Amino acid sequence: MSTSSSSSSSSYVMQAKGLVKRYGQVTALDGADFELRAGEILAVIGDNGAGKSSLIKALSGATIPDEGEILLDGRPVSFRSPIEARHAGIECCYQDLAVAPAMTIAENLFLGRELRRPGFAGNVLRMLDKKKMLETAIARMADLKVGIRSMTQAVETLSGGQRQCVAVARAAAFAEHVVILDEPTAALGVKEGNMVLELIRRVRDKGLPVILISHNMPHVFEIADRIHVARLGRRAAVLDPKKISMSDTVAVMTGAMPPERIPAECLAC
Amino acid sequence: MTTFKDKLPPISQLGPFIALVAACIVFGLTTDNFFSGANFALILQQVMVVGVIAIGQTLVILTAGIDLSCGMVMALGSIVMTKFAVDLGMPAPLAILCGIAVTAGFGLINGLLVTRIKLPPFIVTLGTMNIAFAITQLYSSAQTVSGVPSLMTWLGGTFDIGHTPISFGTILMIALYLGCWFWLRETASGRHVYAVGNNPEATRLVGIPTDRVLLGVYVLAGLFYGIASLLLVARTEVGDPNAGQTENLDAITAVVLGGTSLFGGRGVVLGSLVGAIVVGVLRNGLTLMGVSSVYQVLITGILVIIAVTVDQLSRKGAR
Repeated sequence: MSTSSSSSSSSYVMQAKGLVKRYGQVTALDGADFELRAGEILAVIGDNGAGKSSLIKALSGATIPDEGEILLDGRPVSFRSPIEARHAGIECCYQDLAVAPAMTIAENLFLGRELRRPGFAGNVLRMLDKKKMLETAIARMADLKVGIRSMTQAVETLSGGQRQCVAVARAAAFAEHVVILDEPTAALGVKEGNMVLELIRRVRDKGLPVILISHNMPHVFEIADRIHVARLGRRAAVLDPKKISMSDTVAVMTGAMPPERIPAECLAC
Repeated sequence: MTTFKDKLPPISQLGPFIALVAACIVFGLTTDNFFSGANFALILQQVMVVGVIAIGQTLVILTAGIDLSCGMVMALGSIVMTKFAVDLGMPAPLAILCGIAVTAGFGLINGLLVTRIKLPPFIVTLGTMNIAFAITQLYSSAQTVSGVPSLMTWLGGTFDIGHTPISFGTILMIALYLGCWFWLRETASGRHVYAVGNNPEATRLVGIPTDRVLLGVYVLAGLFYGIASLLLVARTEVGDPNAGQTENLDAITAVVLGGTSLFGGRGVVLGSLVGAIVVGVLRNGLTLMGVSSVYQVLITGILVIIAVTVDQLSRKGAR
């Protein structure tokens, strides 16, 4: 690797080069590239089968790419599981409300990363430090301005939008490098969708870069700083939502507008 | 921050207490010797087997499963431990361990079929229920095993508090309930049991090995059935190949009456103890009233349906 490429790659929080993933005869990723900058919301769009979800799975450790490399803060990484990605500071919030409804908000925030009490109670009796988890939950949620009254209420008592906010906040509260949100506004009403979008903005403003997978073009255009268009297992283009129209974006996505015909000013640098 | 309504347990958790109080009032008024320390101690002694099975059953139901094999596996365990001790002349502690190993082994088989082959727990345990029953009959030649060593019946012994005889088995049952309650409530692995029953996919995605949690629950349930086998031997002082048939439904009834949701992820294990006592009180009270055992089965059946209905309706209300 030349010094010039390593210095340019370090300006990205996350980068992928030439990712290939094959499932038998099907090539889901065919040399896909990806770049995420610090402090941005990068929307990832693409038709079904464009390689959008395979890309996200590779970045979040849910699948292992056959070829290519992934860099985190300029350093090559290879995740064998979502847990490894999590340990590297990448938090993923999956589609369709990935929360346990009967459990409290605080319990959901700490599910899978519970805190134990110090000393005998924690080490021998393996008791949870419920007080500390509750305090942390209140602090983290206040930090993100999620206006929920009590952290000890069950998630099922919340509205759909509030639940999704809990799921997003869980990812954001623990991510150190990257937050990946998979269709966070799907199945939400207008008002609730806006509530989640507001939260995503606050996550970015805290300095965490966000990868947003969405089918909802108005939401993408409202919130994204750049738009990564996946097509045929590759990256077709990275677009600037302030310059390009929504219909042209869809045209790039479907292939009606080939990448070489995209006006240069519409491409995000 | 939290209102009074937030702190009030849902109706499904208060239900068993209401049922218990109602049953006690009815039997207190209609029979002469229902309200006596000795009778309550007797009830506890009668429910200790079902009570301990119900702990295992609660764990399985919390994961949104069900274990139909519990009673039959318990019967097999008691046959194995008594026959190993009586026929093979094995020392009692070793024979007890062998019996518990067999019930835990059945739990392991149930768990492996549910987690590895992804079979529905209902079908898996329906199968193992019949297998356990058949093995019990074949191995015992459908004969009762008598002359069990005294060490095996020690838990059936009693000590007096005031003038009320309390059996060691009752104490063991209550200790197991408290231990399990603590584990489910205060530790991460206990909370994961709830999470798996609540939303297995979300639980897996946060990195909890859901299959390992499930497998652990089935094996643990098997262990509890094994302890129940020992309690059964202690109470009856024989190895009975026809045991387990009423205990099967009674344990599920106790869990459901105790407010644990059949849809998984909600419930408190101590509720199952109350549920088991409700079943015990009903059987005891109806017997004192001279009602035949067929009616007791009838009433248990109706109770299960009422309890599940309450569960279903309160869940709808929570949405």
